[in-house]
Amino acid sequence: MRTARLGRVAAIAAFAIVAVACGGGGSGGSGSGSKGTISIGVDLPESGAAASSGLPTLDGVKFAVQKAGGSIDGWTLTVENRDDAVGGSYNADKGVQNVTDLINNNNVVAMVGPFNSAVGKAEIPIAAPAHLTMISPSNTNPCLTKDLSSCDYHPADLRKGNPNNYFRVVATDDLQGPAMADYAFTTLGIKKIGILDEKTVFGVGIANAFQAQYQKDGGTFKRDSFDPKTTTDWRAILNGFKDFGATAIYVGGTDDQSACKPRGQMNALGIGSWPYLGGDGIETSQCIDDAADSANGVSATTAGADAGQISSAASVITDYKKAFTGANDYGAYTMSAFDAANIEIQAIKQALDAGKDPKKVNDFREAVRVNVSKTSGYAGVLGTTTFDANGDTSAKIISVYAVKKEDAAAVAKGDLTCGKAGGSNASFCFVWVKQFNFGA
Amino acid sequence: MQRLRATFAGDLGTALFSTLGLLAVGWVVILAIQSPRSLIATMVIGITDGAIYALIALGYTMVYGIIELINFAHGDVFTLGGFIALPLFAAFGIGPGAHYSLVFIPILLLVFVLVMLINGLVNITIERVAYRPLRGAPRLAPLITAIGMAFILEGTMYLWRGPVNLRFPDLISEARYTNSLIDIGVKDVMVVVVAIFLVVMLSLFINRTKLGKAMRATAQDRDAAQLMGIDINRTISATFFIGAALAGAGGLVYALYFNSIRFDLGFSAGLVAFTAAVLGGIGNIEGAALGGLLIGIIRALVDRYISASWSDVIIFAILIIVLVFRPTGLLGMRVPEK
Repeated sequence: MRTARLGRVAAIAAFAIVAVACGGGGSGGSGSGSKGTISIGVDLPESGAAASSGLPTLDGVKFAVQKAGGSIDGWTLTVENRDDAVGGSYNADKGVQNVTDLINNNNVVAMVGPFNSAVGKAEIPIAAPAHLTMISPSNTNPCLTKDLSSCDYHPADLRKGNPNNYFRVVATDDLQGPAMADYAFTTLGIKKIGILDEKTVFGVGIANAFQAQYQKDGGTFKRDSFDPKTTTDWRAILNGFKDFGATAIYVGGTDDQSACKPRGQMNALGIGSWPYLGGDGIETSQCIDDAADSANGVSATTAGADAGQISSAASVITDYKKAFTGANDYGAYTMSAFDAANIEIQAIKQALDAGKDPKKVNDFREAVRVNVSKTSGYAGVLGTTTFDANGDTSAKIISVYAVKKEDAAAVAKGDLTCGKAGGSNASFCFVWVKQFNFGA
Repeated sequence: MQRLRATFAGDLGTALFSTLGLLAVGWVVILAIQSPRSLIATMVIGITDGAIYALIALGYTMVYGIIELINFAHGDVFTLGGFIALPLFAAFGIGPGAHYSLVFIPILLLVFVLVMLINGLVNITIERVAYRPLRGAPRLAPLITAIGMAFILEGTMYLWRGPVNLRFPDLISEARYTNSLIDIGVKDVMVVVVAIFLVVMLSLFINRTKLGKAMRATAQDRDAAQLMGIDINRTISATFFIGAALAGAGGLVYALYFNSIRFDLGFSAGLVAFTAAVLGGIGNIEGAALGGLLIGIIRALVDRYISASWSDVIIFAILIIVLVFRPTGLLGMRVPEK
């Protein structure tokens, strides 16, 4: 996940060489040169601290274009990428500017991105009227596609009366709670649990989703919530859970509030070995650090599959690592971006086969959008994708990660989320344990 | 029975007050009968938290008592204590992952003294820069500069160490004494002992020394005190110094106790401590200590036996009831006479 500049340079150089080599051969075999250029737009945070998210994802798109031989039916296929990071973190305004830019580029017929849900919320209203297809490799906020009462905005408002142009290849956050409930009840065998939330929209929402499924599974719970602004001591609450007979805790919240600080106080109460469960808001270095002496036993979900665990993805990842050789070129969303780009390439090909002219850019974008929306049973690296009417994928996979002690070599590789604060916690990292498929 | 009748013979306020108090005591007695061990554990949590609140509340109450300023920056001065301690520990080779060892005790004591000293000097500077020039200004002006100082301190600590929860070295023994009834840790004892020691020292200082007398005189009537030859500026500076030293000790105790500190801790802790000072009677040293303890205990009881969702609601409801019937707080306020 971290960036090493040299690795990046090497990867881009390697890509350039491969691209030149492929460009000569061409896949259309017409021999009469290119009919013109078709581009896939990309909008991701690619600079500063956010580069570790965006660049490996961008490489996934590049890899898909490379695999297609850099052309479709005699048209040269390129990647038009834009960086939506400002000062090292994603920026919705910059994203809007980038999408406007991509729309004004007549070669761009579809785009992959954005990386962050907040950016997606700002970009959809710009891209929808232009009928520009967006496939996000990583947006997990359910509100972007689902009309839920807990959302403070709704998909119909974002589209502004236009047909849906937004799709994603990852599952949504609202499935994280249920996945962890099944994991807690069935896999860990926890029959009584304490559920804690930190009175935020995200925290209460994910805790409610957990609670509903856990109850359905047959578990009993005690629920409590705290205000992260005024709470500094959780021990009395935790003792309350102990009285109730709980043997684990689920926390709805994020580490930047205080979701993992209760964990740090559990050891003194003699309950430091209880499983401590939560959503992707606690799958962070900060959480491991806050957990102090009780990092072991913390588990978190993330929306999406871990490509490293899917056997069918292994050969693609091996090929990818040959083409992109930098230590940090492979990220959590590289394969999502690869699948997203391939779905668009397939849709572009279908449009060309149907006789659509990429030079009539508005018609062509609409044709691609329609084709993408009809994507059904697409066999990608991460599973089979069928888009529903909202733009969500049928492959609703949630992964569960647990904190375990890792050896120094595994920590040094840098692709695990480990503790940072020094001391012994630096060797504790989140490791993949299981996945749930809600689409099946 | 006679006492009960006498209680209800009073005015409505006293009656309501006593009824609520009796109900609360009754509830605690029931809890004690149900599970004494669980109640004691909760009281230990409440008393330790309350002791930390009390150490912060003392600074609020002293400053308000002497110049009628709600020093909003005080909560952040408390956090600063923990922040200053980190590089001091590092200078002695104690990193964030360090664990308890006897050899650390003298270093710990030295760091305590240094933190209190540095914190006091910082607060004197704050008073000199942001409050003293406004002593004759309308009330609102120093109130706003105090809020400003709070943000400046928070912002500085944020720039210094970032938004993360800082891991604090674990320098106090994790040893616990446990039997069928009691389960208490060395850490719990440390918090209470430090708090009691500092409050007693403060009380002795204020009641037995010349400077303490000057403080009391300044709090009662600044002009008259000045006419008696008391150096007002020096007295007020001393008040800020002592308040900040206590808060610094509080910040260090907090960080040693919970092994974690964050730049914005002062906002929440300061708010609760200020509430404690008002509850006990602002300007009143014993009141601040009592208020801190009460809030700590109430919070722990509600967290455990009712629901943490209700903690703030219940604490502030009690505050409102107390203030409605006893506007000067539980032990009465002591502020400058007009």
